[in-house]
Amino acid sequence: MVAVLSRVQTAVRPDLVAIDGVSIAFPRTRGRGTVVAVQDVSVAIRRGEKFVILGPSGCGKSTLLTAIGGFLPLSSGEIRVDGKPVKKPSMNRLLVFQDFGLLPWRTVLGNVQWAVSKRWHDKPAAECKARAMHYVELVGLGPQAEQYPSTLSGGQKQRCAIARAFAVQPEILLMDEPFGALDAINRERMQVELNRLWAAESEKVTIVFVTHDVNEAVHLGNRIMVMSRGPGRIRSLVDNPSVGSPPHDVQALKLVEELRALLKD
Amino acid sequence: MTSVDIGAAPPRQQPWVASVLHNDALKKIVVLALLCGAWEGSVRGFHVNALLFPSFSDVVAHLAKGLGIAPGGTGELWGYIWQTLSVILESFAISIVLAVVVTGLAVSNAWMRQFLSVMTGIFQPLPSIALLPMAILWFGFSRQSLIFVVVMSMIWPIASSLTVGFATISPTLMRLGRNFELGRMRMMGEILLPAALPMTISGLRIGWGFGWRTIVAAELVFGATGNSGGIGWYIDNSRLFMNIADGFAGILLVVIVGLFTESLFRLVQYLTTHKWGTESF
Repeated sequence: MVAVLSRVQTAVRPDLVAIDGVSIAFPRTRGRGTVVAVQDVSVAIRRGEKFVILGPSGCGKSTLLTAIGGFLPLSSGEIRVDGKPVKKPSMNRLLVFQDFGLLPWRTVLGNVQWAVSKRWHDKPAAECKARAMHYVELVGLGPQAEQYPSTLSGGQKQRCAIARAFAVQPEILLMDEPFGALDAINRERMQVELNRLWAAESEKVTIVFVTHDVNEAVHLGNRIMVMSRGPGRIRSLVDNPSVGSPPHDVQALKLVEELRALLKD
Repeated sequence: MTSVDIGAAPPRQQPWVASVLHNDALKKIVVLALLCGAWEGSVRGFHVNALLFPSFSDVVAHLAKGLGIAPGGTGELWGYIWQTLSVILESFAISIVLAVVVTGLAVSNAWMRQFLSVMTGIFQPLPSIALLPMAILWFGFSRQSLIFVVVMSMIWPIASSLTVGFATISPTLMRLGRNFELGRMRMMGEILLPAALPMTISGLRIGWGFGWRTIVAAELVFGATGNSGGIGWYIDNSRLFMNIADGFAGILLVVIVGLFTESLFRLVQYLTTHKWGTESF
């Protein structure tokens, strides 16, 4: 059952990602048959919006995100980006991982520079470095630019990963519980940071953000899709006018309560 | 605020005593000096037969002569140690190439993987020095026999650590490589090899250790191929000609070279995995 709770109609943005009747199943590790991770999900993600997929663990939200990236084959249905079906991974659909995914043998600057040089093959090294440095400083890691990831804290590592993500200028940012490994204070800080970085870009990148944290969803998402598990289905799709508001905002708190109730079922 | 009594201050020490008590490297030097002193003292004190166990000073003198440092020395030890090193270095290179090829095949093919696993299971526990009699049968008293035996000791630890190194690469890094649309070669060079480097260095170090033991032992059996011999041959030959101090000098040289190569590995680790924080011992 798909209940659509819509409040205020947000300004019409064109669709970027069309998820059309998508099911994803994996063969069982033991015995025969398959495990259905995602069942019959259909939703459209608009260009330039921050789209949050909210759900308990095991509801297939990460699986769906990975499929949007083109890393997984679909059992049925189709995912189209800009009208074209997604077949394989691309730098235009960039993943941000929960365990950061930094190259340990490169410095902070080196990691971002590497990504930039992969994105634009014919850009000279000095330009890549300059662009990388711009984003490293933008996330506040200027003093740590020449440090190796093993010497950084969790929050710093994630900021480096985010700097890398924005430096590559993808069409879509696929963020898989990126702040899940951080402590509560850092998580809040990073949410504010992400909103700030996203707003600062002239061309707003489309973000698809997976989380199980309701407060995070309300703080970050223009629209929130609630998934239920066993197998993963859409439970609800909500507009969120309180995006970016401080945690004690009354409207935001009301939405948090509603979403929590949805998750409990 | 009341002051807390944390006990009396420790007694003042002489600065040099303090530095020895706190510095591990200095402690090692002191222990070494004591051992050499004990060696010298007990040999001279108990009047041990120099033909059985020469004194430390005697051995050092012969070593210096052999290296051409002391006057009247022939510097012949350089030739012998180079002969040994050339065999092990050649075997090392062959082992690395073979291990990379076999591991490369094993990564993508399940049959190759099991083949490598079975071969490693059979041959790694076998001290390859035991293969020397067969090698002599097949290749004669030649350099090939030595290389065969040394390669058989090195290739298995190198291949198995490479395999483990590739198998334990973080799946996140693999996904990162795919996300950045890296082709096979770039994936190998920019992600797989650096990620597997800690295990690779570890495997190379172990392989080198096995190879070093094997070559010195093999040379004791026969170390002279043609008209040049290795250090193992030199040690046994010294025994034959009752130049015991020379024999000990050879042993000491083997120890020194072993320490030197070990520090080379540690230097490589310092410049790479230690700097990156991905060291694995």
